[in-house]
Amino acid sequence: MTDREVDQQLVERVQRGDKHAFDLLVSKYQRKLGRLISRFVRDSAEAEDVTQDAFIKAYRALPGFRGESAFYTWLYRIGINTAKNHLLANKRRAPTSTPFDAEESESFEEASLLREVNTPENELMSKQVVDVVQASLQQLPEDLRSALTLREIEGLSYEEIASVMNCPIGTVRSRIFRAREAVAENLRPLLETSKGTRW
Amino acid sequence: MKQQISVLMDGELFEDEAASLFDHIKRSSDVHMDWEVYHLIGDVLRQPEHIHRGLSAKVRERMQDEPTVLAPRGRAVKQRIRTFALSAAASLSAVGVVAWMSLQISPEVAPKMAMQQSAIRPVSMQIQNESNDYLMAHQEFSPSTYMNGSASYIRTVSYSRDEAPVKNSPDEK
Repeated sequence: MTDREVDQQLVERVQRGDKHAFDLLVSKYQRKLGRLISRFVRDSAEAEDVTQDAFIKAYRALPGFRGESAFYTWLYRIGINTAKNHLLANKRRAPTSTPFDAEESESFEEASLLREVNTPENELMSKQVVDVVQASLQQLPEDLRSALTLREIEGLSYEEIASVMNCPIGTVRSRIFRAREAVAENLRPLLETSKGTRW
Repeated sequence: MKQQISVLMDGELFEDEAASLFDHIKRSSDVHMDWEVYHLIGDVLRQPEHIHRGLSAKVRERMQDEPTVLAPRGRAVKQRIRTFALSAAASLSAVGVVAWMSLQISPEVAPKMAMQQSAIRPVSMQIQNESNDYLMAHQEFSPSTYMNGSASYIRTVSYSRDEAPVKNSPDEK
């Protein structure tokens, strides 16, 4: 099943009353939605609140979600509306003057707009997480690193990676998992030390 | 289990396997944590400059105050019923059209066929009159004589009020 179908299955679970399934969707999209909202709401604390509000609004609106669009498109639209309403309530204008398409939000990058004002503690923690992940990636054997990079950064399917790396799909599956798990092993101690802070 | 999460994240797991895996994640906080960490790794690799603190714990806290949402199941059921009803109606209407057409055609075609048969009959009778002896003489070579071994004993007889009775067999002399 595709990524969209995974989301749809989770959505259907939520629609049947499974709150935990929504938790998995939050885990999956929290940073993407937060990043999107931070383009509208510059203050990081405010952006965090708005992101939470957007998730809650999405949860309340989920019974009406019929799967005609991808879940993340629908969620991003809610995020953008929530951010704009937040700015409107505070008599501020959104930083973009042109219409913002949720479909394009994944690829929309403009460094000047991305000014996240984290607390020093959060900034340090963010930096440590990034450092650990990148250092772990560099320590991986070449075949594992390539497989994970092709999947996570290039977004290739297992079949495409198998073709690129000239190996069976089962090998791709195994390499990506081993790479993720190797990075996760280095990351877990750091995440466990930050009590009360989930990543 | 961890590998299944990895495969699920990549959209490469089968639907039934995903369903059971979601159930497992729901029961185990450790497995849930694996789901979160793997997604964090992906986010860091894609956007290392924009990693910030996760919100899932806070959203989870707020979700506790939220009533459980339930999608109206009637919508899905109604949709299925509508689909079934439409297909059934289409089938019934197709059967109705076919039946109506056969009813419309039969009364017209039947008399025509009857007329054609009556028109042909005198001709066939003429042929019978002329070739009757020949046909009877070679009857044993007819394929119909192999039918159940008894066809050779069957005699065809026809009668017309307009004409005199026709002798079909030498036995009738």
